[in-house]
Amino acid sequence: MGMPQKIRCEVVRIINHGGNVYSLKIKPERPTPHFQPGQFMHLAVDPYEPGDFWPESRVFSIASSPTKRDHLDITYSVVGSFTTKMEQKIQIGSEVWAKFPYGDFIIQSKSDVVLIAGGTGITAFTAFLERLNPDQEQSVSLFYGARNQELLIFKPLVERKLEEVKTLSAWYFIEEGELDEKERVLSGRLSVQFILPKIIHPLNSDFYLSGPPAMLKKLSLDLKSQAIMPEHIKIDAWA
Amino acid sequence: MSKREDILKLVREYYQQKFANRSFDPQHDLVHYAGRVFDEEELVNLVDSSLDFFLTANRYAEDFEVSFANFLGVSNAILVNSGSSANLVALTTLTSPKLGDRRLKPGDEVITVAAGFPTTLAPIVQNQLTPVFVDVNLGDYTAIPIQLDLAISEKTRAIFMAHTLGVPFDLDAVMGLANKHDLWVIEDNCDALGSLYHDRLTGSFGHLATCSFYPAHHITMGEGGCVVTDNDELARIARSFRDWGRDCYCAGGENNTCGKRFGQQFGSLPEGYDHKYVYSHIGYNLKVTDMQAAVGCAQLNKLPSFIETRKKNHKAITEILLQYEDKLVLHRPTKNSDPSWFCYVVSVREDAGFTRNELTRFLEANRIETRNLFSGNLLRHPAFEKINRRVVGNLENTDRIMHNTFFIGVYPGIEETHLDYIASVFDRFFKGERV
Repeated sequence: MGMPQKIRCEVVRIINHGGNVYSLKIKPERPTPHFQPGQFMHLAVDPYEPGDFWPESRVFSIASSPTKRDHLDITYSVVGSFTTKMEQKIQIGSEVWAKFPYGDFIIQSKSDVVLIAGGTGITAFTAFLERLNPDQEQSVSLFYGARNQELLIFKPLVERKLEEVKTLSAWYFIEEGELDEKERVLSGRLSVQFILPKIIHPLNSDFYLSGPPAMLKKLSLDLKSQAIMPEHIKIDAWA
Repeated sequence: MSKREDILKLVREYYQQKFANRSFDPQHDLVHYAGRVFDEEELVNLVDSSLDFFLTANRYAEDFEVSFANFLGVSNAILVNSGSSANLVALTTLTSPKLGDRRLKPGDEVITVAAGFPTTLAPIVQNQLTPVFVDVNLGDYTAIPIQLDLAISEKTRAIFMAHTLGVPFDLDAVMGLANKHDLWVIEDNCDALGSLYHDRLTGSFGHLATCSFYPAHHITMGEGGCVVTDNDELARIARSFRDWGRDCYCAGGENNTCGKRFGQQFGSLPEGYDHKYVYSHIGYNLKVTDMQAAVGCAQLNKLPSFIETRKKNHKAITEILLQYEDKLVLHRPTKNSDPSWFCYVVSVREDAGFTRNELTRFLEANRIETRNLFSGNLLRHPAFEKINRRVVGNLENTDRIMHNTFFIGVYPGIEETHLDYIASVFDRFFKGERV
């Protein structure tokens, strides 16, 4: 983890994905500190004066690439009082404060990698996916679930990388709405019963899980019940 | 204008009244070996920080750490309350169980020198490691490279040495040896901030490096120091040792930075025990205040000019002393280095016809401050005489330094008038004048 810094930022773009899910692009007043894919930031929307105590904030995975140091992207779902305040208060031009980088949910595996993302949890993987090279030898399998097609927000990124990276494979899951099996969009929730048969060497792979707490709890228990060792299961869990 | 701006304007006026426009009077003033050099910006920052009244490390500490890491070209700078604390934290970091088999364990050997400051050595002893001493060159006062080779044994795990008084040790040899034998390297960079080796700043070569901000050093914050590293894992461990040994990395006054404060399980603690009070190391509290960091921020802006002045003064003293080279060993850089000199080191030759103490007594009597090369030979001090150690050779030069070596200042407070005065005093001594 690099040295966390507090940086004043301006909100320059808001995307309403529907279903109370939003993406923000924020512009820091100076180049961002170095961070790694999978790390997260604290976002504060209340006024902050350097030298005072840090205000109430919430953590969000940094969805943008570490190589783009002039902006930061986050995606959030309105699920509690803080994100409700974000939805109500944040407008284009709003001043917010970011404090980062934090976290060790960093994909450093030498073995095959399995990424399991639920909803906005995909943002823990987007910078990693963006960084994948065409000559990538390591196998990366992504299982990406959301409520409906529209909330598979980062599907275009995944599709683009699938074109570029032969060792990347992906499956999508939606809980409601129309299916499109040609597009590998399947019905239902992410499940270990579906995931494990798709993995060539499941016992030698590292599983990275990011998403709602209930999903993380269930999938990690199910993976362990299928003889996946705990040290091969990494969870992006925020309490 | 706000009250705060009023206060800071008055501080600037106070600086002018109290500290500005001081001139050197050789009849009364000391030629210090070192000292704080500052202007109104240090005072303004100090008062500005005090008006925040956050007291513990905050915005100035954050600014300093970021700027200092950028200066050295590393990813992490960890402020501590002294250079000695930095040495303690850096060496102790390598004992962390989090490093698994790579950790230093009691009985492992660490190569170092005896001609130096005690707090390079002390953390080795305090961590029950075995120091292995090599001798140093006269003139640059850094480890003799061939002796480093001879010091290696099956137990050798690390090299921890200072760039003595600004002169980079042979980093080609040290890093080559470290790579060959898989050793940790800590650069004690306390006296060498701004020194270059192959045009790269010292402090950026080793796994860890340390700096000091005591007033005698290149920049100051009163008491202060820093551990730097380009290794995020080592940085997190170092912060833990600095901050009571805790596992949590929240800054003072912050909570749940990791987002998992009540969501983890450690040791045999119950699931969800408050991470803020989980301890993964037996640590210390070696943090700085934001007031110290505030002074450091203003000093850091001046560092490039300080380095240049030190080099200029060192060169001037070489020119003064060159005529006495048959009696004195002059201070010189190591190959491939461009030192940011801490001071000017002189060794009196064995056949000079006078002793080190005769010369330093004369200089001191004429208000030119001198200092010995710190401990001379650390192994001859009461605290270290009986420590468990291994010695390569007989430390012949180290003992010579103990008897014959001293230094005078080159710090940025020394100006042309001081240099002229230093030249005149040496001239009088070499014409036979004594006290």
